[in-house]
Amino acid sequence: MSWQIALQLAFSGLSVGSIYALVALALVIPFKASGVLNFAQGEMATLGAYIGLALATNFGLPFLVMVPLTLLVAAGFGVLMERLVVRPIIAAPEFTVVIATFAVGVIIKSAVRVQWQDNLFTLDAPYVGAPIALGPVRLNPAYLVIIAATLSVVGLLTLFFANTKFGKAMRAVAIDQNAARLMGIGVGSVFMSAWALAAAIGALAGLLLAPIIGITPEIGHLILKGLVAAVIGGFTSLGGAVAGGLLLGLLETYAGAFFGATFKNIVPFCILIAILLYKPHGLFGTAAVKRV
Amino acid sequence: MLGRKPIILMALAALGLSLTAARAEQGVTNDTITIGAFGPITGPAAYIGLGGRDGMNLAVKQINAAGGINGRKLQIAFEDDTHSPTRALAAVKKLIDQDQVFALFCVAGSNATVGTIDFVKEKGRVMYVSFASAPPVTWPFSRNLFRGGTTEVPRYGEMYAEFVADYFKGKKVAIMNGREEYPKNEGNALEKYLQSWFSITPVKRAEFNIGDKDFTPQLLEIRSAAPDVIAFFGNPAEAAIALRQAKELDVKARIFVGTTMVDQNFLAAAKENAEGVAGFALTPLLPGSPHADMKAWEAKWKAEYPNLPVGRPNIFDILAYTDMYAFAEGLKRAGKDLTTDKLIGALETFAGYRSGPLATPLTFTKKHHIGNLRLQPMQVKGGQWEQLSWEGKRPSEILKRYE
Repeated sequence: MSWQIALQLAFSGLSVGSIYALVALALVIPFKASGVLNFAQGEMATLGAYIGLALATNFGLPFLVMVPLTLLVAAGFGVLMERLVVRPIIAAPEFTVVIATFAVGVIIKSAVRVQWQDNLFTLDAPYVGAPIALGPVRLNPAYLVIIAATLSVVGLLTLFFANTKFGKAMRAVAIDQNAARLMGIGVGSVFMSAWALAAAIGALAGLLLAPIIGITPEIGHLILKGLVAAVIGGFTSLGGAVAGGLLLGLLETYAGAFFGATFKNIVPFCILIAILLYKPHGLFGTAAVKRV
Repeated sequence: MLGRKPIILMALAALGLSLTAARAEQGVTNDTITIGAFGPITGPAAYIGLGGRDGMNLAVKQINAAGGINGRKLQIAFEDDTHSPTRALAAVKKLIDQDQVFALFCVAGSNATVGTIDFVKEKGRVMYVSFASAPPVTWPFSRNLFRGGTTEVPRYGEMYAEFVADYFKGKKVAIMNGREEYPKNEGNALEKYLQSWFSITPVKRAEFNIGDKDFTPQLLEIRSAAPDVIAFFGNPAEAAIALRQAKELDVKARIFVGTTMVDQNFLAAAKENAEGVAGFALTPLLPGSPHADMKAWEAKWKAEYPNLPVGRPNIFDILAYTDMYAFAEGLKRAGKDLTTDKLIGALETFAGYRSGPLATPLTFTKKHHIGNLRLQPMQVKGGQWEQLSWEGKRPSEILKRYE
């Protein structure tokens, strides 16, 4: 394999990996805040894509207006999900809550099918155009936007958690809910915000994917890859989730190039197991230590 | 105490009833004929089954509105097979054993259809297959299996190979196909006939999985072989991504696609990247054609389904619509006293039968049930599929094995 091909594959892998990273981020945020693994996170991408489609086609909204509106609607859905489904059963066994989120995902996908069936819809974006040649590598602007959006989300989240009062409150809740409550932090509103944020990030992933692969109810079929990315990253680290996503994208792409389409999904998962055998808490995760 | 006469009359009545019961076909009443149908309406191949279901239902609605078949209305029992052979088999078992349908109308893809064939043969019910080109539908010959608007894969191979070698003047041909039944069969058939008819061995063969979203590894591999033609077999959504990526990666080759992509569905997904792509259509007219017959039909379709997206109606709407009319013609020719044997006999009277201006001519004989052997070469020009005047010169060899 020439270095030009290796570079092209790297760009492709990073592009795919950026989507996994967004889904992984959206899994990690509510997990850190409320300890709940949201199995409907893939369907948040589906929801985002269809909300965007409805706003663009039924209301004729331009892309740049449609995107923030979609994220707002998705965030609202995240709030509703937390208040109506997660919070009432938060004391139930973890498995029960996970299954409840899984059920929400099935409902979203089925509701989408009732309205749109499995027809393939397309969504135009202003940045989709001719590739940009950078030496021997050709960069698709749509993929560049995905990479840029992922890096921007991570950057903004880092700033938010480090520099804002609410961000610090969210970190405090993630560390110790009882201590945070005793310090006067509204744990309930932190939970709600984390779910809203995660839903908006999931919707962003759907919106970014839609102009590239089209919209069907299966567009959010990313939960497994997002989970793997989050696990590789350690599940408690935002940077780890992004690194995990990018690594998974690269592994998949290079595995496809070296070993063919059949091995595209086998090789990355074998490497995941190898990583977990060597570092059971992921690349950036740490074991929880309890003072006794 | 009953006398002798009433007892004899009762015995005769009972005998008559039992004879009627023995003769009655499942799924047929005085007023209705129940047909079982299946296809994928969810999942990555839903564009096949949704078109199939909607086109079929439109035809059934029109047929029933016009009085039905020999005084009976058609009823459809539909099952989603999700493009899976095991789900399709479960669907067919339910339709035959539980729903007691008279016959089957298959709007599934090859991948699912192949899973049902042994069971349908065993049960002896007629299955009229509208889309699936997998060889086992019609070869080895089975009396109760018919293929309508689509054709058998080896015929694709003959036509594709001649077109690529003659019209595209391809010398270095690369094949890129999905790993499931239909695209794999198309790739195999093209490779076989390129080699046997034109002594062309493909310079590269790359495969992908259904639903893949990134084809960079395959395209880079193909680019390294510098082909002058790439033949792509898969679903329109995959083709749209692969064509865009091929342009991005500066892959310079003419593109040939399989019949499922010679359709509006593909144009809607691939947009400007579809320009110059060539392939074969299964019907004389495609959706979006300015021809008056197509415009009239599309108006009826849109009145029935007003809210469906760009790309619908697609080729599968038309195939299922025209095939349901052909199947209904078979039922009509079978007569009022409808049986499976009579239906088979009636369908075997089709010799170039066309159910309407959108339909391809169908021929069934006692030796073969491949309805359609004609394909129309098309190319995307100015964002629309246009007919090419090119015609294959080599006679088909596939019917020889049925002699």
